[in-house]
Amino acid sequence: MTHIKIASAASRIWWGASVLSLLAVIGVLLFIFFFVVAQGVPAFRPELFTTVTNGVAGGLANAISGTLLLVVLGVALVGIVGFGTAAWTVEFASPQQRTAIRFCVDVLAGVPSIVVGYFLYVALVEDLGWGFSLIAGAFALAIIMLPYVVRAADLALSAVPRELREAAVALGSREATAFFKVALPWAAPGVLTGLLLATGIGLGETAPLIYTAGWSNYMPSLALTHSPVGYLTYVVWTFISQPFAQSHQLAYAAAALLMLFIFITNLVSRTALEAWGAQRHR
Amino acid sequence: MTTGLPYLQRRPAQFLFRYGFGAAALITALLMVLMLVFLVVFAFPAIKFNGWNILTGITWNIGNQYGSGVVTHNGVSAQPGASFGGLVFIFGTIITSALAMVLGVPISILVALALVYRIPRRIKPLANAAVELMAGVPSVVYGLWGLVVLVPWIGQRFGPFVTGHVGKLPVFGGEPGSGNGLLASGVILAIMVIPIMVATMRDVILAQSSSIFEASMALGSTSWQAVIRAVIPSVRSGMMASVLVALGRALGETMAVLMVSGAAVNQFPSNIFQAVNTIAAVIVSQLDSALTDASGMAQRSLAELAVVLFLITLIVNSIARAILHGADRVRESR
Amino acid sequence: MRKTLISGFAIGLALALTGCGGGSQSSTATSSASAPAGTAAKSKVFGASGNVHARLLETGSSLIYPLMNLWVPDYQKAHSGVQITTQSTGSGTGISQAISGVAQIGASDAYMSDSQMASQKMLNIPLAISAQQVNYNLPGLNDVHLNLSGPVLAAIYSGKILYWDDAQIKAVNKQYASKLPHKAIVPIHRSDGSGDTFIFTQYLSFSTPSWKSGPGYGTTISWPAVSNGVGAHGNPGMVQSCQNTPYCVAYIGVSFLSQTNAAHLGYAALQNRDGKFVLPTPQTISAAASALVAKTPKDQRISLIYAPGPNSYPIINYEYAIVNPAQSNAQVSAALVDFLKWTVTRGNGSQYLGQVHFLPLPSGVKSLSLAQIGQIK
Repeated sequence: MTHIKIASAASRIWWGASVLSLLAVIGVLLFIFFFVVAQGVPAFRPELFTTVTNGVAGGLANAISGTLLLVVLGVALVGIVGFGTAAWTVEFASPQQRTAIRFCVDVLAGVPSIVVGYFLYVALVEDLGWGFSLIAGAFALAIIMLPYVVRAADLALSAVPRELREAAVALGSREATAFFKVALPWAAPGVLTGLLLATGIGLGETAPLIYTAGWSNYMPSLALTHSPVGYLTYVVWTFISQPFAQSHQLAYAAAALLMLFIFITNLVSRTALEAWGAQRHR
Repeated sequence: MTTGLPYLQRRPAQFLFRYGFGAAALITALLMVLMLVFLVVFAFPAIKFNGWNILTGITWNIGNQYGSGVVTHNGVSAQPGASFGGLVFIFGTIITSALAMVLGVPISILVALALVYRIPRRIKPLANAAVELMAGVPSVVYGLWGLVVLVPWIGQRFGPFVTGHVGKLPVFGGEPGSGNGLLASGVILAIMVIPIMVATMRDVILAQSSSIFEASMALGSTSWQAVIRAVIPSVRSGMMASVLVALGRALGETMAVLMVSGAAVNQFPSNIFQAVNTIAAVIVSQLDSALTDASGMAQRSLAELAVVLFLITLIVNSIARAILHGADRVRESR
Repeated sequence: MRKTLISGFAIGLALALTGCGGGSQSSTATSSASAPAGTAAKSKVFGASGNVHARLLETGSSLIYPLMNLWVPDYQKAHSGVQITTQSTGSGTGISQAISGVAQIGASDAYMSDSQMASQKMLNIPLAISAQQVNYNLPGLNDVHLNLSGPVLAAIYSGKILYWDDAQIKAVNKQYASKLPHKAIVPIHRSDGSGDTFIFTQYLSFSTPSWKSGPGYGTTISWPAVSNGVGAHGNPGMVQSCQNTPYCVAYIGVSFLSQTNAAHLGYAALQNRDGKFVLPTPQTISAAASALVAKTPKDQRISLIYAPGPNSYPIINYEYAIVNPAQSNAQVSAALVDFLKWTVTRGNGSQYLGQVHFLPLPSGVKSLSLAQIGQIK
């Protein structure tokens, strides 16, 4: 009897600890978020979005546009390759090939972002002569985001119940149709979670962009090469250590904006996911 | 998964389907190979020059750029006095990631369980969103917060408090340091990897059907026992996978560590408050210095360090895989 | 369906961007010949006007960075067709990116070494004369100026002196000997490739034979292991680190003197070659300059450290623009030459240099700089 009482008490204690941990973790997030926003508030004037950085002061127009451009381009590149890789792994690969690809992806996930940046610096910026550029930065982001997209899509596609696919093929559909019309919609939420995670990582990268996109105090010129691009994470990284109050405010404002972008991406994908989920359970 | 009939394979859509995706997979594999090959080829002169010193040496010295003459090992030359020892960085990488995991994994499991089993249905979406949001916070923002809040707190309050009370004890005692150091790095890394682990662990636990939980309860376990002894072991591979993703991220994390680590060179931390350095952080902080080395050996040695980091990740992954594989075999044989 | 739409949009966007990029791309120069109309219109909205015909990237020294940020806006007001981006990345990066061609101006407190010059012939063009102070954070003593000498600093940074109340420090500070606390010194050094490290370690090398034969000098050196030692990134990082760490000592560029004063950090009187302890003032910097500038060679690579003279401040240096004489694009080259000429003439005015505590170039050196600028094609 006591044995059960101890177990029950332990159970309650552990569950209490788990809830406490959750509250602590969320508490840290809220702390960071409000801290950053509060410190950045003085910088939030309309000029923040219309002026460019000027050395250590000014606005964030160039950094915001640069971040958006780099991430959109990067996600476009990684979405195609990443999803395709996962789809091939789940649909067509033999068990050995599957292990091999998953191994490659694991290894890629372990590459520090600075190594990717340095590799592209030597290959694209110097050897190919593209200079600090939008495309080099986008490539850097795409390579870094790739493992996350592949893993998530892999997990999601693998989780599709076998019966669903077999039923589709038994009813006469071609494999491609079975994949796109049956497996994919089922796996879509998981794939999107992966893309979302990757976008967040892409929004937040700094080190590789320093060596590929460089930095510019001006609006991006949309040229794919030979034109450095500014981005918000650079502002956070450099301006916080400049000994000027305006620089600090800009750094916090940039950090707050980054968190806001991530929040929006999250929100959009969640509502889309819920709509999807609701559709599925009908 | 190919349950299809042979003639279906010859349709153009099928062809595109199969080989289009195959091409994508090829790109992924090639990317990894390309980067690895490039790094190894680029680092090869440094490998010859450094020998075992890259793993065992403590001193990182790019040599006297303003001196004359050269120093030569194995036919490769560098600036006089050059010696590239990476032990400090290897040690720092391992110990900061280890600290992050020690702090992060238990907390992540607890949080994931709370999210799945304890949070009332109405708050669930909010709580989930909050955790996912955390996973998305950029590392520089964590580094920013760490630099401005955590480091001063450790340096001016926590550090002196602990060292004041434990005196000369190893690990926790000794000099309180400046706040930039091992503890700050470990804590920041833990904060960064927890959301990633929680999100994937939660998904993995959720995907598990509730029958295992209910079966365990029916057999008389408490809810906690059901979770710990039945549900989690049944999703062990997913949990392991999520820990591995997090470990990979921690091993390769650059910016946040750069901002709070204290950038140690040529020395090991004497306690958790002293400066450390990780391979990823040292590549960033030393890359521009290395580019001033006219002999090029400094750059190549950094590339060699990158290869070492690759290897560390590889070894960690392989060990984890072996454990998983062994555990699965034991379970199946029962 | 939705997913197809989204992916279609993404692909379309990517293609559109490629199209735009292909249209406005130039050949190999790190600048555009002319920006497309869209960009020009956008520039109008954001304050600049007219077509941008040259983009310059200045990167490097964090010491000269505050000055660059005073120069560039004024220069651009008069020359709207040139866009100059400034970056504070450390002298090491300035040198290496100027050599590799991704930056047009590599700002550096350090001149290039012979081996670096051998790998690529570059121009080391002094733009101004700057200096460096040694800051510390000693609660109670930050308002006074402690005396520190090269040998003492060398001993601190090699871990031979561990506490602030060490006999050697007391020996040069008889006035404050009793006030020095028994606390461990935290020596802060630069973790990035730094011109400040270069001039500081030159001071240590020139004044202390054991340092010269040991770590020596350079933009990056192998710092001896000191138990409390910390690395900081950039001059601003040094300011921040020292501010947050009681009992620290740090070498910081004089362009950050106002900031270190605002942060209540003390700065030391350094012992010069004649044995006197001097503070970094315009007079002492000027005295050091006048003792050595006459010796400036044509390629202008010379150390101004540890100048002789009773009033000379021991750590002063030329702020160099490291430039490749062979630029790849005529418009970039012209803009570069014009900007550099402006910096050593109009830019050397006291309204700029005064704010960063720099000194203007003496006329002889100015002519040498102009001569080197003239070599840029």
